[in-house]
Amino acid sequence: MIAENTQTQMRKGILEYCVLLIISRGEIYASDIIAELKSAKLLVVEGTLYPLLTRLKNNGLLSYNWVESTSGPPRKYYVLTDDGKSMVRQLDTTWQELSYAIETSKQVKK
Amino acid sequence: MKRTLNINIGNSLIHIEEDAYEMLTGYLNEIKSHFAKNADDFEIVTDIENRIAEMFAEILSAQHKAAISITDVQQVITQMGTVRDFESSEDEEHPFSMPYSQGIKRLYRDTEKGMVAGVCAGLGHYLNIEERWIRLFALLSTLVGGAGFIAYLVMWIIVPRAQTRSEKMYMKGEAINLQGFIRNFQEEMENSNLLRRSGGIIAEFADWFGRFINGTGKVIFKITAGFIILMSSGMLLAAIVTLASFLGVFDYAGNEIFPLSMVNDSYVSLLLLSAFVVIAVPLLALILFSIRVAFNGRQIHKNVSFGLLILWLAGIATGVFFIAKTSTEFKEHTEITKVSNLKSYPVYTLDLDNSRVFSKEDSLLYHINNENSKGWVILDEREGPFGKPDDVRIYIERSLDATNSVTQNFASHGKTFDAALKNAQSIRYDFQQKDSVLTFGPKLRLTNQAKWRNQEVKLIVRVPVGTHLIINRDLDHYLAGYRSWNCGDSHEGDFVEWIMTENGLKCKNELKEEDHQDQ
Repeated sequence: MIAENTQTQMRKGILEYCVLLIISRGEIYASDIIAELKSAKLLVVEGTLYPLLTRLKNNGLLSYNWVESTSGPPRKYYVLTDDGKSMVRQLDTTWQELSYAIETSKQVKK
Repeated sequence: MKRTLNINIGNSLIHIEEDAYEMLTGYLNEIKSHFAKNADDFEIVTDIENRIAEMFAEILSAQHKAAISITDVQQVITQMGTVRDFESSEDEEHPFSMPYSQGIKRLYRDTEKGMVAGVCAGLGHYLNIEERWIRLFALLSTLVGGAGFIAYLVMWIIVPRAQTRSEKMYMKGEAINLQGFIRNFQEEMENSNLLRRSGGIIAEFADWFGRFINGTGKVIFKITAGFIILMSSGMLLAAIVTLASFLGVFDYAGNEIFPLSMVNDSYVSLLLLSAFVVIAVPLLALILFSIRVAFNGRQIHKNVSFGLLILWLAGIATGVFFIAKTSTEFKEHTEITKVSNLKSYPVYTLDLDNSRVFSKEDSLLYHINNENSKGWVILDEREGPFGKPDDVRIYIERSLDATNSVTQNFASHGKTFDAALKNAQSIRYDFQQKDSVLTFGPKLRLTNQAKWRNQEVKLIVRVPVGTHLIINRDLDHYLAGYRSWNCGDSHEGDFVEWIMTENGLKCKNELKEEDHQDQ
């Protein structure tokens, strides 16, 4: 139970970071984000992504463009805003710090 | 074969099977109600709907199918995740210990299992008691003063309805984790009428009203049906017991009872059996029908109902045949008469004797040793449960030739003249003179084997003018034309004094009054 809690918490933070990272590589469709997250074995269910994207958009980190689709309704293609880009840089730093903290913690344990 | 529907989801047109559609609607409603807490709900729901539409399109083109089936929807839901998944990743207001705490129960109304608004079902989950006991209690407390009804209304308003899956799991006290979630989901999949939920109190009311017809209406209907079944079963049982007792299973002299005493022994069993069939078959049919209609029992096989109908008609036909046959036994009418002179007395006492001297036949009938029964009498003989029609009449007339006499007239019906004569001869009637006291028996009896053929006894007492008759009031019943209650003071006692005059029998008191008037 407790382990699961912690795991979920960690995943939540990292999921947000990863989504921002994926979008930072260029304009992308939600479905493709899901595909990438799945290949990274990070996402369990797709439904989780939509609230996250909406929240990031509302925080001004993302924006989207409508792009016509050949096989259905127009699709939302997400891009990072300037705020988003600076957020990614901040998170990069944080991640390096965290990664260092974990490495160090493991070494100390030895 | 399944019905399919066309739906517009995410601006694309999708063919979908009916059950799949119901599941999808339920899923989307759940999502909508979940995201109703957020301001951006519409956008998220639209995103999700668009994505579902896309997945459907992919499924249809990949599998070359025309319509989305329920397994496709299930697959999409698994891929998309459910409200519970969103909660664990999104809801930051909820402290994390809460969704994961095991066995915490909250009171919700269970509208899926509920009969009216799910209050009892919800309480059942909360208190861990089978909801039917709570329903029973609620019903009883409603009947006793209506407290249950008020409590129910209050709880309906106060207690929220379990809408999202996690609320349902809280309601049942299931651990809110993936295993519990999957179990809950599977349960819901098995539950065929799962997707009747929708937002809004009006929708809920409409939903409730629909279910009232299905639910509470059905309960009342079922109670009524149960009552009918109970009553019919009781009557059926009574019919069986009656039949058994008449057929002598319980060694009960049913044949002595009046309506049956006219039926010949050779076919009394058949007649009883047919009467039983005529009564029992409709009862049985009523029971079967009630069970089928109210409790969704298996449909009665056509052959069974047809067989029952045939049996019933056969019963009626047999009954009618034997009734007709029995009625021919009453075709001829015969009377035999015996005149016996009475010793002459100026005053006679007419009395009724309810006791009965043991006859030789009685000794046989009641298995009493003849030697011991001599001189014994049965006091206060009673009629059976069904009294025969009045069969003893007593007439008092003026004697024309100054002699006193009693004429005993025995009459009977029969199939032929001889039979009628035989039937008349089978009559036994107790009448005796002891000095000036004339004693009459309360009713006629038939010798052992004789059947009731409307046997009648007519007693004509002839006395000359001026004879005084002191008559027991109990004989009123048998006396043709005289009512001793009109005569004299009812406080005087059991006997009333009459005097024979030129104009027939007169009450002594009345005569006195007339004398006074004359003077």
